[in-house]
Amino acid sequence: MKNYKVNNLKEIKKITIFPGLNKLGQKEKFEKIEINKGEVVAIVGLTGAGKSQLLYDIEKLAQKDTKSKRKVLVNDKIPNRELRFNPEKKLIASLSQGMNFLTDISVKDFLKLHIQARGKKFKIQIIKEIINEANEISGEPISPEMNLLNLSGGQSRALMVADIANISISPIILIDEIENAGIYKEKAIEALIKEGKIVLIVTHDPSLALNATKRLIIKNGGVDKVLETTLKEKGIASYLSWIEDYNLDIREKIRKGERINEVYLFCEPIKSKRES
Amino acid sequence: MKLIIFAGTPGSGKTSIIKYVIDELRNKFKICFVKFDCLKTADDEYISKKYKVKSIKKLAQDLCPDHFTALEIPKIIKENQDKDIIILETAGLCLRCSPYVKEGLGINVIDVAAGSPERYGPILTQADIVAVSKGDLISQAEREIFRANILKVNSKAKVIEVNGLTGEGALDIAEYIKSSSELGNKKLTLKQPMPSAVCGYCYGNKILDEESSRKRFLAGKEIKNLIPNLNCGKCGFKSCNEFIRAVLDKRAKKEQCPFIKK
Repeated sequence: MKNYKVNNLKEIKKITIFPGLNKLGQKEKFEKIEINKGEVVAIVGLTGAGKSQLLYDIEKLAQKDTKSKRKVLVNDKIPNRELRFNPEKKLIASLSQGMNFLTDISVKDFLKLHIQARGKKFKIQIIKEIINEANEISGEPISPEMNLLNLSGGQSRALMVADIANISISPIILIDEIENAGIYKEKAIEALIKEGKIVLIVTHDPSLALNATKRLIIKNGGVDKVLETTLKEKGIASYLSWIEDYNLDIREKIRKGERINEVYLFCEPIKSKRES
Repeated sequence: MKLIIFAGTPGSGKTSIIKYVIDELRNKFKICFVKFDCLKTADDEYISKKYKVKSIKKLAQDLCPDHFTALEIPKIIKENQDKDIIILETAGLCLRCSPYVKEGLGINVIDVAAGSPERYGPILTQADIVAVSKGDLISQAEREIFRANILKVNSKAKVIEVNGLTGEGALDIAEYIKSSSELGNKKLTLKQPMPSAVCGYCYGNKILDEESSRKRFLAGKEIKNLIPNLNCGKCGFKSCNEFIRAVLDKRAKKEQCPFIKK
């Protein structure tokens, strides 16, 4: 098999994981796991089960040389050393609950800084698009002049998602437990897939996990099960996510000082609450 | 033998990441870990117990820890000829010195929340590898900006994200260590001369050798005895030590000091 050389991270269309050994020294219970561009994969398991090791193996495109002895292919080929160890070609961009903005700067200038750091040309239009996208994800609107440090948890998370989707070049996005962020999660995931990223979510959140294409169950340091999401689970996911979005809408109304007079128990198809 | 020097401010996560790096390397190489600190440390005991590698503790106490490191390196190398890799962790107080050795590998562990990389001196600008720690606390965008800013002041550096909790990045560092050059019998040289203070190195000696350092120190002391040590600046230098160093480097003449004893 020829080594695969990637000049542009956008060429990465698929990664394939081959089994290694779990903490007990047993072979993991799957033949291979294929993850394609635009797919969302949930990674679930107890604390200490070995989720981080799996993510590390993917990030480092392990070739049986990590603790787990897993092997990872890119576009069905062995990745070359350059792709594995050149820090310029970082495969995974990450976003987690614990991440904060630390720079004392306006949203607009911050995005400009990031675009320039990526060596891209700065256009005011891109900044507008990113902020619009963030506003779709967050309940409370962000304006370009706001200071980064004054954003709420939800606004920060929303801006991070929109920023990763549009400016970062990493083809894989790792999302680590963003369930309590106060954002429209489904919208957030959509924004990332739209840009052709592979999305890995470490989560115990039912609507997120059931909305993924498949979920990997980690136990004793190995992948214990791979479950493709069934149609029924997708339906349940969308119902759960409707309830959550509805909850978020009520939250915004309370924040605005409105009275809450009624509760819908059934989701209305098509019409989105947010647009009203 | 390879000499790997980890430098970085206290609390940046040097020891945490070194643990993972040692774990990656210890099965294939004979390792000696040397921990430099100012007053107290127990990291050496922890590492030798957990990873079964030789560990040495060096406390600088009243000496400048980076000068102390430079003084100790030749001894450490001499005493550990049977080892493949010496991993040295500096006390990490000063951004000015950072005793990286040209013939070895210099790794700067820098905390992503530590402020603008432009403020850092040789500890960052002279490093071969810059290991950025604690990235899990800030946004992806800021990590990418931070990285771009590091490359502005040290364009040759390999910038790696590391995490002392999960061990992220340790594999990369281990790879760089494996492919770094051997010391051989070469005389070691500091990448950056140290600022003026009290030993031969303070007077600008760069050869890591007791004898050269002593000679330089004595030559410096001789001049020091001839001048009033007022740091008056009339010679054109900020301090007398700087002036002495310039004289020894032949960049200035003794006579530039208006008070020098004839």
